[in-house]
Amino acid sequence: MKKLILLLLCAIACNIQAQERIILLNEGNWQADNGKISYFEDGGIVSNQWFRDVNKRKLGDTPNDIIQISNNLIAISVNWSNIIQFISPDGKSMAETEDVPNNRKLATDGRYVYVTSYGHECGTVNGYVTFTKGYVAKIDIQTFKVVATCEVGYEPEGIAYYKGHLFIANTGGYAFQEDHEYETTVSIINAETMQLVKDIDTEQINLYGKLSQSGQYLCINSPGDYYDIPAATVIFDCEKALDGDDDCFVVLEYASTYSCTMLDGNFLAIGARFTYYTNEYKFNYLVINPGEVMATDGGGGIDESLPGTMLADLQALGMPYGVYVNPYTGYIYATDAGSFAAAGALIQWSPEGVLLGRHKVYINPAHFLALPPNGDFTKIVPIVGNNRQTGDIYDLRGVRLNTPPIGKPYIQGGKKMIRY
Amino acid sequence: MQYLSEIIITSKQPFRTTTTSQTLQGCELQALSTTSVADALKYFAGVQIKDYGGLGGLKTINVRSLGAQHVGIYLDGIRITNAQNGTVDLGKFSLSTMDRVSLYNANKLDKCQSASEYASGATVYLRTRRPTKDSLSVQLRRASFTTWMAKANAQFERNGWSGFIDAEWTDSRGDYPFRYHSEYEDTVGRRSNSDIRYGRIEGVLFKGGFSSHIYYYDSERGCPGGIVRRLSDKYVNVGREWNRDFFIQASYQKQFMECHQVKLNAKYTNEHLRYCTDYPENHNTARVNNHYLQQDGYGALCYAFTPWPWLSLSASYDVRYSKLEADLKKFDDVFRLDQKQVMAVQTNWHGLQAAASLLHQHYHDVTFAHVGAAAPLDRWTPAISAAYTLKGLTLRAWYKKIFRAPTLNDLYYTQAGNRNLKPEYTKQLNLGIEYHFDSPHWNASLQADVYQNKIENRIVCLPLKGTYTWSMMNYGYTFCQGLNATAQGRYHTNDWQLSLLTSLTWQHDVNRTDPDDEDTYDKPICYSPTLSSGVTAIIGWRNLQLSTSYLYVGERMWSYADPEDVLKPYHNIDTKLTYSHNIGKTQWGICLEVCDLLDEQYEHIPRYPMPGRNYKLTLSLGL
Repeated sequence: MKKLILLLLCAIACNIQAQERIILLNEGNWQADNGKISYFEDGGIVSNQWFRDVNKRKLGDTPNDIIQISNNLIAISVNWSNIIQFISPDGKSMAETEDVPNNRKLATDGRYVYVTSYGHECGTVNGYVTFTKGYVAKIDIQTFKVVATCEVGYEPEGIAYYKGHLFIANTGGYAFQEDHEYETTVSIINAETMQLVKDIDTEQINLYGKLSQSGQYLCINSPGDYYDIPAATVIFDCEKALDGDDDCFVVLEYASTYSCTMLDGNFLAIGARFTYYTNEYKFNYLVINPGEVMATDGGGGIDESLPGTMLADLQALGMPYGVYVNPYTGYIYATDAGSFAAAGALIQWSPEGVLLGRHKVYINPAHFLALPPNGDFTKIVPIVGNNRQTGDIYDLRGVRLNTPPIGKPYIQGGKKMIRY
Repeated sequence: MQYLSEIIITSKQPFRTTTTSQTLQGCELQALSTTSVADALKYFAGVQIKDYGGLGGLKTINVRSLGAQHVGIYLDGIRITNAQNGTVDLGKFSLSTMDRVSLYNANKLDKCQSASEYASGATVYLRTRRPTKDSLSVQLRRASFTTWMAKANAQFERNGWSGFIDAEWTDSRGDYPFRYHSEYEDTVGRRSNSDIRYGRIEGVLFKGGFSSHIYYYDSERGCPGGIVRRLSDKYVNVGREWNRDFFIQASYQKQFMECHQVKLNAKYTNEHLRYCTDYPENHNTARVNNHYLQQDGYGALCYAFTPWPWLSLSASYDVRYSKLEADLKKFDDVFRLDQKQVMAVQTNWHGLQAAASLLHQHYHDVTFAHVGAAAPLDRWTPAISAAYTLKGLTLRAWYKKIFRAPTLNDLYYTQAGNRNLKPEYTKQLNLGIEYHFDSPHWNASLQADVYQNKIENRIVCLPLKGTYTWSMMNYGYTFCQGLNATAQGRYHTNDWQLSLLTSLTWQHDVNRTDPDDEDTYDKPICYSPTLSSGVTAIIGWRNLQLSTSYLYVGERMWSYADPEDVLKPYHNIDTKLTYSHNIGKTQWGICLEVCDLLDEQYEHIPRYPMPGRNYKLTLSLGL
């Protein structure tokens, strides 16, 4: 009897605690003020206008990125509304600021939010600051004010935080309209002082789109100029860059228009290389092992087979518009923007790549955030239900290795090992 | 100003009733509370208007859901073109110089007609007023939203020659208030960056079969964006646009030996467009400063042969040479040679009328742009129509197949153009009935048409799979069934003039693009209302005239994603009261207009609010 009650309690507890909690930003149509949030819990969509339901008002025009900062705070950059919207994990509006216009992507160290902007002005605690090129703003989450800024390249896009530093991919994306060229650099900023440490020239133009981070590695997309310069992917080693190693990146001849970090530390990247000369484009669907790519200088570490039925499922999408892996559970997601005038779809796979479902969302579903299943953002949550026992070898950072290292600890089959 | 009362031209032209047409002319046209041609056309059955709001907003019309680029606009028989984007901003043409505005759903079917008049899905004819006496008139207008307008017209008529010079200057701040009220917002504000100022001067000269027109338009306007969530008014749209349009055209028509008719048309157009966001105060969006120059030379030769009164044969050749220059990156000059030939036959045998035409079009582009030119386009398209008239009652049927060629923007615009585009085809089938009744004081007409349209290979801009870019593509198939009906009644005595004009459009047009997509397949086309109707009543008593127009446009969806993504139906009432008084040889006039009497807040494009109730007061003096 006791056992039964215990089981029952456990079942109730399990029911209360949703495992899959995904916030999805639907960009909507530009200048139509119809950016919407879809909230997905376990098997289904709870709401396709979550922000409106909770706050009885609209989110704004073209939400562009979402991150979790702490247990009770999430930031959303709402690009064309010039708003950074802060919400709690239950969707309640906590604060908002319009001090960072034309905001793009977000990063955090848990205390501050760092946001890139294509704009040339910023409202800070010290008054308005203007810039010739683009900039990064540092927002204090206690006051929601910009406390510092740093000018970087033209139209800075992706941003990542690693070991007290910010890594910013510059696009120069207005180059086809404005009087400057595309950018090719990754700017490194000291997050504390907000001083530029250095720019690393990747020799790839237009570093556009959300970048993915896996520990010390970044996966940065370069779509090229859509005419003469084809798309490429830059795998960037933040550790090496901080060490002053010039060989801190490897260029791959693939597009990573949409990328994300998988549970095993690899990048999942999909994209197409396109040129207006022929109007032809070449698709790629990849799993990139960044450690291996760096170690082999791009000679290895790329796997063109995806888990389960994912490859065929992705190829069947009308218009892939985003990929994501829940960092807590390993469940895989993609979005399909479909015909752009109709509702897009959220597609879910198990970590093994078994298609679990397709759910109707809203126009241009693009940006994801998984909430921690137990609500605790700060703790690393053990992976439940991931039974993949492979012979793969990983280092302590979770990067897959080809051969077990000698004299260094490594992980195989979930066990720490060392070989002398 | 005085206008001649209605002239019924129908009876003089035996080949006119085989296709569907609607006309507004003379005093009825001037009685509408309208400033531009677009406003007059919205009262026609089957017409949908697209308007980004305000005085300066782009105004285009769409007929029977074919799309704006399938509507050809002809000024005195010569097409107003835009090789760059294929649409004509009807806001640039004033109604005050027009005598007649007509919509023909297939072809106009004059005996002697240029090939390009056969080359659009629907045709709008603007006919310039031909002066019948010497006069000078000036107008001054003050209207809501800090709008000022001044207009002058000098006309003459002598020895068979006639002509006028018409000039207008308008300045409007256009900062009208708007309100969005729903469950999720209560947004009030004033439209900003919505100002416009323009000057227009045009002159015409006529003699018999000769007509000529010279036109110059110069404008500067703000380009307001959609109303989106903002925390304050700190960030506003800064985009501004300048247009400088010039054209000169001439046409000469001559009939000889009763059975031969020849027409020559020539036109030169020079259009300059500048769009700029490159201002010091623009800290937040791309700083663009682009210039576009289009030049267009056009010539047409038409010949009609009427061996017997019941048969007419014609052949026409049109040539148009367009050049587009722009300082876009990755762009270079584009040249287009567009040639059209048509062969047409018309007959009228004891009330049985028939017409058939076969049009050949050939497009050839040359460009230095690195993407290269599109392959030449060479197509034949037919149109046929038949009608039978008995005692004022006409039954008619027509079919027309036509395409629109991809525009130069569609093919070559930087980071969007696609030179592999195919033409967008429309196929229209129509059955109609028309009845006329005339008596000395009364006249009435009824007209009803049912139609079916198919549009294939729609040219649309879509994002490219797996990239962040957009490109023009052939995507989409539309199937449309509808009913257009108009009923008009007029009564006049010496003192009284009464007109009642009504129109009704019922339409069922659906998306037939992708049978596997249950969210969109067989669903209504976005922005297309199922039902719309208009009623215009004009009451004239001596020098006093009151006209009221009512327009209803039903619900339109604007996306398939959410049942809430609809534009609400709207009712629009415009009213106009005019009084004129003669003092000696001068005629004084005063006119008060109230537009959107009910102050309804409505939109044609989501988040682009239209102005609510507004007033215009006009004083005029004629000599």
